[in-house]
Amino acid sequence: MIALPWTDHLIVAPIILPLAASGLMLLIKERHIRAKRAIAAVTISAMLAIALVLLHGAATAPAGGGAAIRTYLLGNWPAPFGIVLVLDRLSALMLAITSLLGFTSSLYATARWDQAGPRFHALLLLQLMGINGAFLTGDLFNLFVFFEVLLAASYGLLLHGSSTPRIKAALHYIAINVATSLLFLIGMGLIYAATGTLNMAHLAVRIHAIPDGDRMILDAGAAILGLAFLVKAGMWPLSFWLPKAYSAASAPVAALFAILSKVGIYAVLRVSLLVFTPGISSDAYFASFWLLFGGLATIAFATIGVLSSKTLSGIAAYSLMISSGTLLATIGARDGAVVAGALFYLVSSTLGVSAFYLLIELVQRGEIDDDALAPVTEPVFDDEYTGAVEGSDDAEIGVVIPGTIALLGGGFMFCALVLAGMPPLSGFISKFAIINGLLGSSGAIPMSTWILLTLMIVSGLAILVATTRAGIDYIWTPSNQAQAPLRISEAIPVGVLVAVCLGLLVFAAPVMRYMEQTTRSLADRSNYSSTILQAPRVQSAGDPL
Amino acid sequence: MTDSRILLLVLALPFFGSLLSALLPRTARTAAGLVAGSVAVLATALLIPFYAPVARGEIVRLEIGWLPTLGLDLVFRVDGLAWLFAMMVLVIGALVVLYTRYYMAREDPVPRFFSYLLAFMGSMLGIVLSGNLVQLAFFWEMTSLFSFLLIGYWYGNRAARDGARMALIVTATGGLCLLVGVLLIGRIVGSYDLDVVLASGGTIRSSPLYLPALILVLLGAFTKSAQFPFHFWLPHAMAAPTPVSAYLHSATMVKAGIFLMIRLWPIFAGTDAWYFIVSFAGLATLLVGAWAAIFQHDLKGLLAYSTISHLGLITLLLGLSSPLAAVAAIFHTVNHATFKASLFMAAGIIDHESGTRDMRRLSGLARFMPFTATLAMVAAAAMAGVPLLNGFISKEMFLAEALDARGGPVIGFALPVLATLGAAFSVLYSLRFIHQTFFGPPPTDLPKVPHEPPGWMRRPIEILVIACLVVGIVPAATIGPVLQSAVRSVLGAQTPTYSLAIWHGFSAPLLLSMIALATGTLAYFRFRDALNRRAGPPVIARFKGGRMFERVLADIVRRARSLEGLFGTRRLQPQLRLLVCLACLAGLLPFLQLGYATGGLPVTPLDPAFAVIWIVGGICAVGAAQQAKYHRLASLVLMAGAGLVACISFVWLSAPDLALTQLLVETVTTVLLLLGLRWLPKRQPEVWPDDRPPARVVFRRSADLGIAIAAGLGAALLAYAMLTRPLPDTISRYFMEQAYPQGGGRNVVNVILVDFRAFDTLGEIAVLAIVALTIFSLLRRFRPASESIEPPVQQRMQDAADLHAGGRRVGDTKKDYLLVPRIIMEWLFPVIFVFAIYLLVRGHDLPGGGFAAGVAMSIAIMLQYMAGGTRVVESRLRIRPLRWIGAGLLLAVVTGVGALAFGYPFLTSWFRYLELPVIGKVPFGTALFFDLGVFLLVVGATALMLVAIAHQSIRTPRARTPARPDVPPVIREEGED
Repeated sequence: MIALPWTDHLIVAPIILPLAASGLMLLIKERHIRAKRAIAAVTISAMLAIALVLLHGAATAPAGGGAAIRTYLLGNWPAPFGIVLVLDRLSALMLAITSLLGFTSSLYATARWDQAGPRFHALLLLQLMGINGAFLTGDLFNLFVFFEVLLAASYGLLLHGSSTPRIKAALHYIAINVATSLLFLIGMGLIYAATGTLNMAHLAVRIHAIPDGDRMILDAGAAILGLAFLVKAGMWPLSFWLPKAYSAASAPVAALFAILSKVGIYAVLRVSLLVFTPGISSDAYFASFWLLFGGLATIAFATIGVLSSKTLSGIAAYSLMISSGTLLATIGARDGAVVAGALFYLVSSTLGVSAFYLLIELVQRGEIDDDALAPVTEPVFDDEYTGAVEGSDDAEIGVVIPGTIALLGGGFMFCALVLAGMPPLSGFISKFAIINGLLGSSGAIPMSTWILLTLMIVSGLAILVATTRAGIDYIWTPSNQAQAPLRISEAIPVGVLVAVCLGLLVFAAPVMRYMEQTTRSLADRSNYSSTILQAPRVQSAGDPL
Repeated sequence: MTDSRILLLVLALPFFGSLLSALLPRTARTAAGLVAGSVAVLATALLIPFYAPVARGEIVRLEIGWLPTLGLDLVFRVDGLAWLFAMMVLVIGALVVLYTRYYMAREDPVPRFFSYLLAFMGSMLGIVLSGNLVQLAFFWEMTSLFSFLLIGYWYGNRAARDGARMALIVTATGGLCLLVGVLLIGRIVGSYDLDVVLASGGTIRSSPLYLPALILVLLGAFTKSAQFPFHFWLPHAMAAPTPVSAYLHSATMVKAGIFLMIRLWPIFAGTDAWYFIVSFAGLATLLVGAWAAIFQHDLKGLLAYSTISHLGLITLLLGLSSPLAAVAAIFHTVNHATFKASLFMAAGIIDHESGTRDMRRLSGLARFMPFTATLAMVAAAAMAGVPLLNGFISKEMFLAEALDARGGPVIGFALPVLATLGAAFSVLYSLRFIHQTFFGPPPTDLPKVPHEPPGWMRRPIEILVIACLVVGIVPAATIGPVLQSAVRSVLGAQTPTYSLAIWHGFSAPLLLSMIALATGTLAYFRFRDALNRRAGPPVIARFKGGRMFERVLADIVRRARSLEGLFGTRRLQPQLRLLVCLACLAGLLPFLQLGYATGGLPVTPLDPAFAVIWIVGGICAVGAAQQAKYHRLASLVLMAGAGLVACISFVWLSAPDLALTQLLVETVTTVLLLLGLRWLPKRQPEVWPDDRPPARVVFRRSADLGIAIAAGLGAALLAYAMLTRPLPDTISRYFMEQAYPQGGGRNVVNVILVDFRAFDTLGEIAVLAIVALTIFSLLRRFRPASESIEPPVQQRMQDAADLHAGGRRVGDTKKDYLLVPRIIMEWLFPVIFVFAIYLLVRGHDLPGGGFAAGVAMSIAIMLQYMAGGTRVVESRLRIRPLRWIGAGLLLAVVTGVGALAFGYPFLTSWFRYLELPVIGKVPFGTALFFDLGVFLLVVGATALMLVAIAHQSIRTPRARTPARPDVPPVIREEGED
């Protein structure tokens, strides 16, 4: 290859674009919040556009072979040695969701939340960069780096708006995640010791050649690494931090965090499908056993949690956990048809939870103590944050739309339906796809499948019961408090997310086809490995200059 | 014209109308009514032509591909039964729309009502026209949803909210059961297509999954059709506006369950399970409903329970499993829809015009509203099964089927008796409805003076009542063919011969019918005053389904809360404990399975000096942990000691790069942490009652110690197993070999950092930037604990000494403190600065690099702050750490992006030796720019943290409001509070 076509650089753009934009923002003083909003808007729109282009490319790539797997050799170093970015159907999908959530959260935040603390937009962009990197990288250590990026950014975002409960929850969150990162490192070290490589594709090849005497080191490493992923994914009993942290976060942050737990799921899916090749040993079955039962326990616990939640944010957090549990259990079920449904479910539930988090704040507004948004006085030095904005009245974004209650009620209902898996939105179809896959397999249906099926239905019901109760309390029950007006910049993000959920239903067939292709290519390990390990470098006669 | 595509239009029209109506302004009730009415009429008109093919026994199908891979295509399908039900939904829907227009008050947001109603109508049509079972379940849940909105329309009213919620939860739960049942059917048959399923009755009945599928489907049908014991939601749904009741409880919603049972009758019926479950549920519902209806005082309550009872009757007929019974069931479904809709509307008129629905207050209304009274009387007579009306014919068929029921002598005797009893109850409550309301003396304490409603409000009732009469008198000529086509579409070849006529000669059913009429009438006149005095139905009054439902729900929530407490925690310590335990387990299991063995490498002999260093390091680490709780300073110092030992180890093991970095990082972190200590409130030593910690605390601590030892031991064993094995062929060899030829650097570590894996470095500096930003943001809003706001003790003592000593001002002591070292520290700045640049430049070939240089540089800044104090430093030095960070990030990114211009991937490096005058040959590469970015960022990030902490001490404390709850969080140990 003589030179890289420019379209290939799009693969790395979702990482360097937000990084550069946040660097630029740091050069601008806090006072110029409009400039920052503009930079954020342009960057995130560009990211969304790029993600959609990449998704389109992945969707239209020919089904067989490695056509849908695109690689990007960073620094032009050959594959197992340098770091390689891999864009396949799964990562393209995850990038698109991330960018969409980034877009909606960022837009929503411009209504009020980006003034609740310094440097919100920079942190948000860095958060997106970390998530995108985690989805794109094909290297285990690089995955660790991006986990660190996204975790660090999530600490900052969680603390954004700093109030006592927020700081309390954030410190717990930080403690757990720092411990988890340590496990990640230990696990990775062990895997490197056993295989001598960090490139995931290379790992999938090398793993066949491990002598039996060294296998336990690899297994121990994989198990400890897996544990780190599962903490992130929110599997019971490693998920107790989740409801507290997510409930404490400000609305746009929590809405973005909906994708964070999916990073853990993604890592589990990616690594388990690549590394635990069935046939080598009992590991594969061992791992899927733990995933299945861990997932089931997670759904059960989260169902209990949903029912016992006293707040809407509690319901949202436990719904997220239900979605994690369902995904883990279906991945553990190890069945192609089920995984395709699970991916559909992943998209739908992530968007649903995200929209729900945004709505919660709108619905509960007036009841939430807005202390965090009150400006703090006494600036101490130059860059002291006071919450002051240039041009104090924000008339341009304060456009109030009528029919607040009706819109909120409708939005709330849609979100609840998506989460509960009820018609007419995408939640129904994705749950149907999973159950259809579970029941569609030939041969006897194992007990665990019946349990999973029951739990899926019961958890949906629990969400319905809980959201109905809460919705009636917050929206239908007459209260003396006047409903705070709804702003356009708050309504649009929710509307976009709900509309996408509706779109997923209407265009279920192409979406499902995409998911099925994704599943098939995920299962084709040798193709994945060979495509990546043979990725061509840019060759040149001499120096590039 | 019967193009099957018209079906889609029929289905889409209501949803379109719903959307349109939702967009109308709040007060546009006539416009909304027009939209709704025209939708209903138009859809009816479009559907009528389908009667021709349907009557010929054809099935009109429309298939739209949707999700073919999952066997889920949209299939719309009309046969006799679907046509009949669809017409019912549409015609009664149109009448309800007309009625609603006059019923609703001007203040109500009527367009919204019509919007819900139309969407509900569409969903109901979706059920009856579905040719795919999953699609049916889909629309099924949608009816639950829209009925929720309709019932809760007056949501300001608590009863409406509760009733709506109850209806939703009960019917949606049933819907989910139905969905699973349908999926099971799909698994048995291999298709969700209704025609395929209907053709596979035998396969289904012989499958081991038959019973679970049957039970799940029936749960769906029973909850929807308010069958015992799920009937309780229906009376609560009466909080809805009357048009909703008239619609939901006559032709739609509750008939969905009946429709489903009729639809799947050919595949499910005929087994003992079906017979017993369905017949029993139907019979119980029939009797419970009728019995309860007798004791209602609310007109709508009476009608609600009578609906339950009639639904039970239909279910019982279906359960009997004979084709003739199925015919009777279909016929009664239609009849019930007509008379029940008209009765609800009449009840609504009475409520509307007199202000109450309480039968004990109503009396003699016939003289105020004679037309309405007549209409209600005819409809009620149909409900009671009086001859010449449609209810009579289907009831006679029902009694005939009860007499013919199979199942042994007990059932053979009991069923006709119970059926007659049910019929007698029906007569009783119908008579009570009419007599109590319309006859007797004029009412005395009504909120309004009753009068006839507007004519158009009565029109729908008139139409329905005429239907009752016509069908009752000439059934064969009117409903006959339609019924026949519906029956044939269900029963196919099993279709029995039956005759629809009011007179079949003297027969046993007729006798039973007459007995029921007579008994009911007699009983009413015997007990009517007693009935008015009773507060609730005897015997079954204790079974208050609604209250039980609420109690069960509350119970579930309570239990969930205690379970959540049992299986979850919100505290940090147990979570970390769990994490460590699970990590130990995860590390241990593979070795348990495969055995633990060390590798074959020879063990290096232990150098005593190295061992001593490590023992010191270990003691430091353990000491740091031990002191962490009460003596943070000691703990920090010990931790630094352990860090230094790590640094010495790196030197010992010939890793100068790591050693240098470790040393610098250790210095900076320790200093920063020490600065932060100032703001942590002092910990109070714990005081236990007996000067001795209680047993559970001792236990918890020992357990934690055990876990810590286990984890440490586990890590050591893992490391040992790993290090005694020869390293496999790793990718690191490539780095060693290629660092100089391709990376242009002799320091492999640095080449890895800035070239081979520069992307990792880019990520890591981003992490550093984020962490610095986070700390900065956090400290911007930091409010110290009240006990930490005061200056520290030492400073107060110095100030006090200054105050008392003559000739000194407050602060002088502080100023004189460490005077000589301070000057040295200030002078060190340029020295360290040069050293840092030296580290940066030489990094590619010798230990050093951007990171180390950055940390070194930040030490220089830190020393300035320590020596001179915040204000002094900042008056001399402009530090803008955020800009440094931003510039560093941008420089690193831009360096990487530069490669793109030459067609290379991001971060591709370039280097060569430059010939500089004086200095000579100098290595020069893009990696240096990248490293410079790293340097800038590290300096900026460290400085930002330093500045953020330093500024705390010069912040003026806020006005004295220490009572605020916003004191910064203190991590508390569990069990302490």
